[in-house]
Amino acid sequence: MNTGKGSLILQRLDIGLIVCVVGLMVLGVAFVYSSGVNSESQQMSGEWIKQIIWSVTGLVFMAGAAFIDYRRWQALAIPMYIGYLLVLVLVLFAGNYVKGARSWLGIGSFGIQPSEFGKIIVIIMLAWWFGEQGKGESDLRQSLGAIIIAMVPVGLILLQPDLGTAFVYIPILFTIAFFAGIGWRVLLFPLAVGVLIVSGVLGYAWNEHIADTPLNLFRLFTEMRLFRTVFLSSLGLIVMTAAGWFIFHRRYFLPILYGLGVFSMAFIGIAGAARVLRGYQMMRLVVFLNPQIDPRGAGWHIIQSVTAVGSGGIAGKGFLQGTQSHYRYLPEQSTDFIFSIIAEEIGFLGCLFVFALFAYIIIRALRIAYTSFDKFGSYIAVGVAAMISFHVIENIGMAIGVMPITGIPLFFLSYGGSSLWTALMAMGLLLSIHFRRSYKFA
Amino acid sequence: MIEGDERGKRFLHTRLMLFGGLFLAVFLVLIGHLFNLQIIEKLEWEGRAQAVSRRSEPLLAQRGFIWDRNHDVPLAVNIDSFAIDIVPAEFQSENPEELAKKLADKLDMDSNGILEALPQNWKNYWNPIEVASGIPYKAIVEIAESVEEYPGVFWQSKPHRWYNDVGSLSHVLGYVGNITIEELQILYNEGYANTSSLGKSGIEKAFDGILRGKDGQIFRTVDVKGRYLESGREDIIPPENGLDAVLTIDRNIQSLAEKALGPRKGAVVVLRPGTGEILAMVSYPSFNPNLFMKPGPGSFASLSLNSDFPFLNRAINSGYAPASTFKLVMTAALLGEQAFDPNKRILCRGYMTLGNRKFWCHKRSGHGYLNLQEALAESCNIYFGTVGVEHLGIDTISRYARAFGLGSITGIELDGENSGIVPDADWKKSIYHSPWTLGDTLNASIGQGFLLVTPLQMANVVAGIANKGIIYRPYILKEVRRSGTGVVVERTEPEILRTVDLLDERGFDYLQWAMRSVITEGTGKFAIYTKSADVAGKTGTGEIGFDDRWHDWFVAFGPYKAKTPAERIVVVVMVEAADSYDWWAPKATDIIFEGVFGKKGYEDVIKEWQERRVWWSWSTRDLPGSGTPDEAEE
Repeated sequence: MNTGKGSLILQRLDIGLIVCVVGLMVLGVAFVYSSGVNSESQQMSGEWIKQIIWSVTGLVFMAGAAFIDYRRWQALAIPMYIGYLLVLVLVLFAGNYVKGARSWLGIGSFGIQPSEFGKIIVIIMLAWWFGEQGKGESDLRQSLGAIIIAMVPVGLILLQPDLGTAFVYIPILFTIAFFAGIGWRVLLFPLAVGVLIVSGVLGYAWNEHIADTPLNLFRLFTEMRLFRTVFLSSLGLIVMTAAGWFIFHRRYFLPILYGLGVFSMAFIGIAGAARVLRGYQMMRLVVFLNPQIDPRGAGWHIIQSVTAVGSGGIAGKGFLQGTQSHYRYLPEQSTDFIFSIIAEEIGFLGCLFVFALFAYIIIRALRIAYTSFDKFGSYIAVGVAAMISFHVIENIGMAIGVMPITGIPLFFLSYGGSSLWTALMAMGLLLSIHFRRSYKFA
Repeated sequence: MIEGDERGKRFLHTRLMLFGGLFLAVFLVLIGHLFNLQIIEKLEWEGRAQAVSRRSEPLLAQRGFIWDRNHDVPLAVNIDSFAIDIVPAEFQSENPEELAKKLADKLDMDSNGILEALPQNWKNYWNPIEVASGIPYKAIVEIAESVEEYPGVFWQSKPHRWYNDVGSLSHVLGYVGNITIEELQILYNEGYANTSSLGKSGIEKAFDGILRGKDGQIFRTVDVKGRYLESGREDIIPPENGLDAVLTIDRNIQSLAEKALGPRKGAVVVLRPGTGEILAMVSYPSFNPNLFMKPGPGSFASLSLNSDFPFLNRAINSGYAPASTFKLVMTAALLGEQAFDPNKRILCRGYMTLGNRKFWCHKRSGHGYLNLQEALAESCNIYFGTVGVEHLGIDTISRYARAFGLGSITGIELDGENSGIVPDADWKKSIYHSPWTLGDTLNASIGQGFLLVTPLQMANVVAGIANKGIIYRPYILKEVRRSGTGVVVERTEPEILRTVDLLDERGFDYLQWAMRSVITEGTGKFAIYTKSADVAGKTGTGEIGFDDRWHDWFVAFGPYKAKTPAERIVVVVMVEAADSYDWWAPKATDIIFEGVFGKKGYEDVIKEWQERRVWWSWSTRDLPGSGTPDEAEE
């Protein structure tokens, strides 16, 4: 078979991925356009034009990222990471407030959201850490390093405060660690703590804001006296179990120690969150469980969004025909709730199409991870897959009322340059990895 | 993966499958939920999407007009006026203080009122707030011309009730106001809404059901800010306009009676005894219902706290001692029971004794010997006191009083009618826990003591005499007509309220003749000068202080020599505790008869009377401005 250079490039290019990405972006522009149309069928917003500009420039970034050998980033990982942390610090002091969070760095009317681009830098950093640097280190040390790499920017983003964006880093960290072969016990520990904290915080918020008869159980977290008693007694238990292990060297002490560790970490985490989170933040987290509790406030977004989605039906009301969106009942309809307007106007079938495109992108990312030339590429690919899938699941879940509202965008569809460029750069990385894959396993 | 071995490869493959599987599982859950929302529950969400953007608003029915019996000039109409709403969130860059000042200047009001209406979170407040109503069209035009200077300022048509030249008709017409929560609780089932306005008193209240019509509804599509969408669907349930009420009141007679009474606390009733139609009903002081439409709470409060009780319709809401006019009932009782020969005379020495108490006649020198007719003409207390105590007794007196309708309401359509009091032994026992005395009988015989009647009840007594026993239910609604076309929908038929059969025709003839003699030779001689009608009447000047609460009455009918009772009118004038020298009630009656039968206005009558020099005491006072007793008093 005569394989010329041109056909080689084509052969090595993931055309399907590019088609899906461009397809989603076209849909995105169309529905950003729709979101700007008011009830008198007039276009009220220039967002769709900006979205086109960002799409086109983003494609250039994607092409650039695709043509640069991804392995070069290995050497740049640390400088980029440190630069990113400096920018996050800068944002804290000189950033612009958007919707209450100081997360934007702006020059004039042009602003970017560093925490979006930072996801890619952290993915590269983690891939580097697990792929090259961490070779030969123990599971625990690798994990601790990875936790530090991810948690420093998370902490800085939480200070903005931008809970939703900060949270995206956690599945990325877990996924890459999972693929790096970190042991179950090590992975399970923070996962268990995290699940306990999340459900504990949700339970606490439910108890505070929704439940008719608050349970006394949750006073453990708010009343210092009770908290101290529980904390000290669990600490005592841990010390005693640890002492037991050192004295008797019986294996059954270890799972007990593990369980106690999970429990006390979660306990501290919940108590901390109960102190740190403000009422409205908790309300936003928990209101998806019962939006009617505050239909005009925190529940408004969910009610309007679910109404828009549900009223779309099987084939939708037609492009530009959505009433919930054009009568402006739907909030944030070009950004966080772009899926609601899509679901309202093109219905269940259109949504299935969107799902299919995203699913194809994720599957391609996993496939690219599989065929990658090296572990660095694999880890980047699974990191990107984790990032995209978390965004998609959380955003769509929020729009249909099964996930808390966190305000993270739907990649490729939501209006906004930072998130679009981030997604396209990530795609560029995937293409670059794919381009330079080995033939050995192909 | 060059550096990976087969084990690494399998490891990667397993984990990729796990990740992909988890991802697809979550995706399927989302799709399942989406399926549930969009396909299974679709109708529900569609309904909610529509409901949230559909807003219904009442289309106000035009309230029916109120006319007098001539049906030429309406008494109560609706005026086109506007309400100003502001939507604070749409102020844009405008400073609310400046905008409020600008708006207040245009509307001639205080800008603080607008600023106070602004909620704390006004920047995000999208609901309209009404800051002014009753704004004339002209001011709206001025705002509309420079609408870009008033961002967030809107207006809507809000017609309000207006009473033309209302004068003393305020009590009859009543007024309209916004429904209160208490009223809504009672009236909710009758189709009233919390935005309804309704008649609060008078005709407006009594015939609210006829006048108000039925509000329609308009369903419109609104966006999240409540703005109407041009593109949205509009469904309209048209309103049914209210019907017009045509009253029995003749506004010329009303005006005549109003001016004849002048600025004296009291009441005038003019009715047609042949049917029961009320031709005029005056109560002074009156109020101006148009003031209630003015912004601010001041006017209503000042009126309701006024010590003269301007809201009180003295013709029906309040009971008074009938004084000597009650001698008409006494005469009827004497004739009907044949208890005492009407031609037999009783000596009036100017006083009488009962037990150890001495009662005086108003003529202290005494009337001398009087028969029944002379006693009525001279209003002799000694005669009626004697026959009342010696020949009738309280049971008979109260029986006749009740037969003429005293002590019970007349059933006129206006609410709050006072039934008055006709006392007897049982009544006194139950109220005062003390036995009835002959002194009480004596008091009752001359219309004092416990007896209380309303001017309208007295008018009915006179109507019964003029009609020879037939008393019609007094009414005020003549016809119900369709608005605009004037087609009569319903006409009130006269209805006999009661028939006095205790007296035969000869008895009534005697009574009428005796009443006529009051004018020709008795106490009315120097008060009634009209030549247009032969008036028969009875004075009720409570000159004798058995009781310090007395009132100046004159009750009359005329013409005395009418071919049919239908020609006759009954006039009752009651002046509360007037100056004794004023003695205005008969003079007012005189003016009314002259005006009605001579077809003259008040001013013409007065002018003629002055030319004829009929009175030596001149105290016609000018009426104050229409319905503003406050200004008159100050």
